[in-house]
Amino acid sequence: MSATTIPEISTSGEEPQVLRPPRWVEGNPSLQQITDEIARPLEMRPGKAWWICFGIAFAALLNLVGMVTYLIANGIGVWGLNSSVGWAFDITNFVFWVGIGHAGTLISAILLLFRQRWRTSINRSAEAMTIFAVACAGLFPAIHMGRPWDAFFILPYPNQRGPLWPNFRSPLVWDVFAINTYFTISLVFWYLGMIPDLATLRDRVTNRSRRFVFRLLSLGWNGSHRTWARYESVSLILAGLATPLVISVHTIVSMDFATSVIPGWHATIFPPYFVAGAIYSGFGMVLTLLIITRQTMHMERYITMAHLDKMAKVTMFTGMIVSYAYATEFFSAWYRGEFYERYHFINRVTGPYAWCFYLMVLCNVVTPQLLWFKKIRLNVAALFVVSILVNIGMWFERFVIIVVSLHRSFLPSSWGMFYPTAIDVGILVGVFGLFFACFLLFIRFLPMISIWEIKGVVRSDSTSQAAGRGGIAHA
Amino acid sequence: MNQNERAGAVDLSCRNAKQQLVRIGEPRYWKSVEELWNGPTESGEFPGGLSPDSRLQRTEDSRRDFLSLMGFTVGALGLAGCRAPVQNAVPMLAGSDQIVPGVSNWYATTCGGCPSACSLVVKQRDGRPIKIEGNDKSTLFGGGTCATGQATVLSLYDGERLRGPVWKGQPAKWQAVDEKVMESLRAAADWKRRIVLLSGTINSPSTLEIVNEWSRRFPTFRHVVYDAISLSALRAANAAGFGQGVTPHYSFDQARVIVGLEADFLGTWLSPVEFARQYAASRRQEGNFSLHVQFEAGFSVTGSNADVRVPVAPSEMGLVAVAILRRIALKAGAAAVPDGPEPRVDAKKLDATAAALWSHRGECLVVSGSQDQSVQVMVNALNSLLGNIGKTVDIARPSFQRTGDDVAMAELVEQMNRGEIHTLILHGVNPVYDYSEPQRFLRGLEKVALSVAFSDRYDETSEHVHAICPDHHFLEKWGDAEPVATYFSLAQPLTAPLFDTRSAQESLLKWAGHESDHYTYLREFWRRNALSRGIADQGFDAFWDSFLRDGVRVIPREPSAPAGTFRGGWEAAVRRILDEHERSQASGPENYELVFYESVAMRDGRHANNPWLQELPDPITKVTWGNYAAVAPQLARTARLSEGDVVLLKCDRGEMELPIFIQPGQQGKTISVALGYGRKRAGKVGLDSGVNVFSLTSVPSPFRRFAASRVALEKTGRQERLATTQSHFYMEGRPIVLETVLSNLRNAPASFESKAPLPTLWPEARNGEHSWGLSIDMSACTGCSACVIACQSENNVPVVGKDQVQRIRIMHWIRIDRYYSGPEDNPATVHQPMMCQHCGHAPCETVCPVHATTTSSEGINQQVYNRCIGTRYCANNCPYKVRRFNWYNYTESRRFEFNSNRALARMVLNPDVVVRSRGVMEKCNLCVQRIQTAKNLALQGMRKVIDGEIKTACQQACPTEAIVFGDLQDPGSRVSRLQRSQRNYRVLEELGTRPNVAYLKKVRNTMGA
Amino acid sequence: MRRNFLVAVFPDEERLMQAVYLVREEKFRIYDVYAPYPVHGMDEAMGIRRSRLPWVALVFGGLGLLFGLFLQFYTVVLDWPMNVGGKPDNSTLAFVPISFELAVLIGGLATVAALFVRARLYPGKRECLSEPGVTNDSFALVLRQRDASFDLSRARLLLEESGADRIEEKAAAL
Repeated sequence: MSATTIPEISTSGEEPQVLRPPRWVEGNPSLQQITDEIARPLEMRPGKAWWICFGIAFAALLNLVGMVTYLIANGIGVWGLNSSVGWAFDITNFVFWVGIGHAGTLISAILLLFRQRWRTSINRSAEAMTIFAVACAGLFPAIHMGRPWDAFFILPYPNQRGPLWPNFRSPLVWDVFAINTYFTISLVFWYLGMIPDLATLRDRVTNRSRRFVFRLLSLGWNGSHRTWARYESVSLILAGLATPLVISVHTIVSMDFATSVIPGWHATIFPPYFVAGAIYSGFGMVLTLLIITRQTMHMERYITMAHLDKMAKVTMFTGMIVSYAYATEFFSAWYRGEFYERYHFINRVTGPYAWCFYLMVLCNVVTPQLLWFKKIRLNVAALFVVSILVNIGMWFERFVIIVVSLHRSFLPSSWGMFYPTAIDVGILVGVFGLFFACFLLFIRFLPMISIWEIKGVVRSDSTSQAAGRGGIAHA
Repeated sequence: MNQNERAGAVDLSCRNAKQQLVRIGEPRYWKSVEELWNGPTESGEFPGGLSPDSRLQRTEDSRRDFLSLMGFTVGALGLAGCRAPVQNAVPMLAGSDQIVPGVSNWYATTCGGCPSACSLVVKQRDGRPIKIEGNDKSTLFGGGTCATGQATVLSLYDGERLRGPVWKGQPAKWQAVDEKVMESLRAAADWKRRIVLLSGTINSPSTLEIVNEWSRRFPTFRHVVYDAISLSALRAANAAGFGQGVTPHYSFDQARVIVGLEADFLGTWLSPVEFARQYAASRRQEGNFSLHVQFEAGFSVTGSNADVRVPVAPSEMGLVAVAILRRIALKAGAAAVPDGPEPRVDAKKLDATAAALWSHRGECLVVSGSQDQSVQVMVNALNSLLGNIGKTVDIARPSFQRTGDDVAMAELVEQMNRGEIHTLILHGVNPVYDYSEPQRFLRGLEKVALSVAFSDRYDETSEHVHAICPDHHFLEKWGDAEPVATYFSLAQPLTAPLFDTRSAQESLLKWAGHESDHYTYLREFWRRNALSRGIADQGFDAFWDSFLRDGVRVIPREPSAPAGTFRGGWEAAVRRILDEHERSQASGPENYELVFYESVAMRDGRHANNPWLQELPDPITKVTWGNYAAVAPQLARTARLSEGDVVLLKCDRGEMELPIFIQPGQQGKTISVALGYGRKRAGKVGLDSGVNVFSLTSVPSPFRRFAASRVALEKTGRQERLATTQSHFYMEGRPIVLETVLSNLRNAPASFESKAPLPTLWPEARNGEHSWGLSIDMSACTGCSACVIACQSENNVPVVGKDQVQRIRIMHWIRIDRYYSGPEDNPATVHQPMMCQHCGHAPCETVCPVHATTTSSEGINQQVYNRCIGTRYCANNCPYKVRRFNWYNYTESRRFEFNSNRALARMVLNPDVVVRSRGVMEKCNLCVQRIQTAKNLALQGMRKVIDGEIKTACQQACPTEAIVFGDLQDPGSRVSRLQRSQRNYRVLEELGTRPNVAYLKKVRNTMGA
Repeated sequence: MRRNFLVAVFPDEERLMQAVYLVREEKFRIYDVYAPYPVHGMDEAMGIRRSRLPWVALVFGGLGLLFGLFLQFYTVVLDWPMNVGGKPDNSTLAFVPISFELAVLIGGLATVAALFVRARLYPGKRECLSEPGVTNDSFALVLRQRDASFDLSRARLLLEESGADRIEEKAAAL
């Protein structure tokens, strides 16, 4: 893989979009080839690399199970929380993982609407990432409760307690609806996109049991174009629904904080700020995952440097939006002149948790600037490091927002510090285990790249129909 | 037999109750208790095992079921079960108006928590006392109490109490022990060997009568009164100065200028509840607002309330007294005070103080807690020169609240070591723990032929005596008290004795060969008393019953001696002070001085096993669970110490290791350490909490000093995290506690309509017929923390322990925020009681996903425990951070061996208040159970709730009436009027939370300063 | 009853497209076209009308929205009003997020359901493939011999001209 194969597309002005559309697949594989190459990892035994990764992830997952059991057996007291800081790692992780999810939907839905053809090789895995991330996120609201066994109180189910209904004014209830909707729609969207590929696999696998499963899942798909036509319009509709959905989800998550009275939370800038941050962190995670799969699963042909380049650019862009939001927060705190708000931001940069803030700035403000340089955008290793930094930075962003705001609120008498316990850290690590275990199983058992969409792209590339026609086969 | 006698004696209205309280003493009953405490031997119909022969019990089941239905915990039910035969004394058929299950009774009694002997009214529910309150019929103490008094009810249910008498470490029977003791007494009498009763302060006239009988019966008998922290020097000075070795009765309410020299009279000294009440009365906004100047080394509650606080090292306290006397003497034209060095304090302050005193001759007061007789002489001189004797200082009607005599104690220890004491009876004392020479006392104790202790548990002393005859808890026994001459207070039992204990008085009577038991004796004593004074004109029974009902009586009597006039003779004392100061000057610069003080929570340490008190944040330092070495910030910087550094303090009496606490306002060269900690044998809770420093206090010479000079300080390099509930001292310039200066207040219009609340977009909430609110006067609040314990006791607030407090998880529903302002070497202090503000627009409610917290139709922000799922969102969104989360199962988990996870201790729980489970949020609910009770009463009476009828637990406990509860919808109610006052404001009002709780600005009296 | 079909298999989409144009010019009705991916312009070529599924989305989305609003209004205002932070019972603005989420959820699920119904896709359905490769790399055009008027030889000719790899008659029970 050399840089010469990178198509000449740059966002800088002096060089206009060339007429010939970029080629999103290396070489010119036949349809048969595409099917074979993408289905390969599903049909052969997994390599050593996969087993090692999965081993680590699974160990972390087991640790998570243990920690959560201990937590529920003993109580929230096993965390480092206290009367001043009622939320810390739990909600930090929640927001972090919800944010991760957003990139998937963005790639699969928004880019679809924008006819961005480069999404085709990555959208399947990005969507998978969304689903697993949201699942991880969903874990936290459940276990952070003092009495998780009563979690169902949040749902508006008919009952004999008055009847008692949830408080629809509470952003936490909004969260419940948003997260569940988001998870369901993403899952449906993901599955729908996979049906034709499942049919393809059904028709090529030899193993009877696997064929049975694929037949069950592919719903008798037979490639009829009349179905294709409806199928595509439904994909578009879902994309149209998912786009405002994904924005609403993180908007609502941000309202958990924005609607409160606590200095550092009570800010109208939060919704756009959080959405941008979500996409930023999401792309960070997509980069991490794709670089891993690309290298371990040898998908260079389909996940080209051009893809990485694009994602790097999106990361940089959203990163700069986030940086802007940081600046705006400080400005509005100063401009508003409200005492407690001002103190909060002074405390943010000079207080006991200042190091978290500076780490965050380093990762989310400084790091993205590296992506101005093509050399870095085209260097897989460098990109990988950047993506990891982005993930770290975004975790700390949420930590700063939550803990630093809480630990010194209005009355100095009730100021306090939060110190994480082993359980806090264990659960933080464990959830990564859950996430990666799911993802590794996914790339092992399901086509991690959308076969039929790639075929469409390859065709339109090879028949080099002009960029105007763009978009995968009218999708 | 005397039971019928008693039953006949009591008036109809409370006969059944009295019968019950009396019948409890039946031996058959005790057997079943023992069985119970060895675990129920039978199950099913008679848990706890009732002796099957009793026919009465057949009728028992229905009620026992009923009681069990009333939410008794397992243990309480067991106990109810075995108290069954007693309750049979009040069969429901008879329709007793006294014992109605689920309805509380209130009985007047007298507090045994400390020698101050405050008058109490105790709430009794289903035969067990569950809440202590002040008796507002008492003209002395009013309705207030102190933290210790509030907590004593928990000590009643202390699992560490002895279950019965002990002979040489083995459980014994009363008869056996009695024989042994009486034998020894006879022997002592025959061989003319000394018999000594070593007791703490006794101000019960009937008990003193018993003591007199002893001295009549046993010629070799002597009564020695020992208080770990006594007022011997003061009494000696009075003996010299006025010819009466008594503690005068002070009237702070009459004083317009109050000067305190190392006397924490609002916190611990002599009679804090009474003094706090007087103090507040003397500092009402309307009327004469007194000026308070406090000279002290460490930061005491009293100092934190003073208008002018002057940090002075103990070695200079004498000089201060001299300096003031010198100035006053000058003004008075009395004999000049010999010249000498001036104390190292701002002379202007001394001048101002003297001027203020002089300009209020006859209506000012100088008090000192110093154990230096010379200083006390100075104080007497000052008070007499200022003409306070007989006005603010009453010697004719003295106080009997602390009569301990250091000299006598020292002498006794000598005699013991010389083997001259044959029989030693210890009553309410624990010298091995709190005497300055424990080992010496112990050696002496070993030389005593027979030592008997009335201790209710194995403590440092009683574990070395021959016989322990456990005394009742004061809530289980009869008694009387005369804390201040002519002020009498009765004590009656609130429950059956839980264990096979016997009141000390009864033991003394028995051993003196009396047939009658304590109750009869007490009654007879009062019959004689009453008749002799002709106060029982309409018959003794009537007098007795009304006395029992009210609990208090003022019975005037001729003063034993005319109000003494000061004999002068203070020149010698002045010289002694100057000389001593000369000597102390020898000490080099690197030497510090130690100051030992009584902490508000622990006092002299007798309540060390009481978890409520262990977890009570110190009013000033806000540290719980243990003591520490408080040093000034400056000293900490120079010695490069940070909070929690464990240091080794060396003085000539020994050395000790303590963690450092950096205390603004601490005198620069001094280190303050609290007494009362570091019990070695008190019970699980008190064990090894803090360090015992009694042994470092000086040997009586002649009086025991609570200071040490020439102290060296070394770092050990170890760290020990203090369990403090407030880490940040300063207000960061936020408008949280507002202050005003008296002069401004005087100039301002007397009263005006307080600002209308901020505008809102929302419709006004539909209110019911009330909207409850509080008004809290930060000028009256002294920070004494009685309200904290009162709330804990009323609302079943769990104790969480040192570790959890360190993790900022203390559960108190009301906390007292303490802020400093001004220079760190002597800051001004404010105490702000902070509980749920019951916001009209509560941020916590909006964010709760399940409606677990909403505003009631009466304006209470209510918490619905069984709906709460514990997201803690409400706590995060509460600007006042008053919400408390059950991080663990505090009430049942074995990890929290403090109170309510033991069946016995659960008996203290208030059945009207839910015990919260793990994982739910809780907070102040304005004692909604009290509101309901009052509303039900009003309903039965077909009337409206009267203003002042409902008192929240914190309000009731407050000796200074700083907290006022009432209906904000009634413009005439006291709380409404207060909330209209010019001092009124609401905390964080600008957030638009519209709290129903409002505060009155702190008033400072800057005149003279 | 058994029906007879004429199945022509093509190696790529261009020839398929050509065949579609040809047979339609000759007024043959195209039964269906099978391809491994959706072929550009095939809708126009086959003359497929625009799908009406968007209407399903619209209608059910609207219903979801209304349901959300009703649920919240009924529970919080009508059924059990409470004083929550002094806010008015009908805090409509606070009801917006959930109403929106329900609209998306119900609209989306309904649309997908409608697709499955309309395209007769359901779990365990046995696929009937016109040609084994259509889910991989080959394309098929299928004509149905409805009655005698169907000119079999003409159809074969057209398909051969448009370059079908293989043409065969099949009978299937549909």
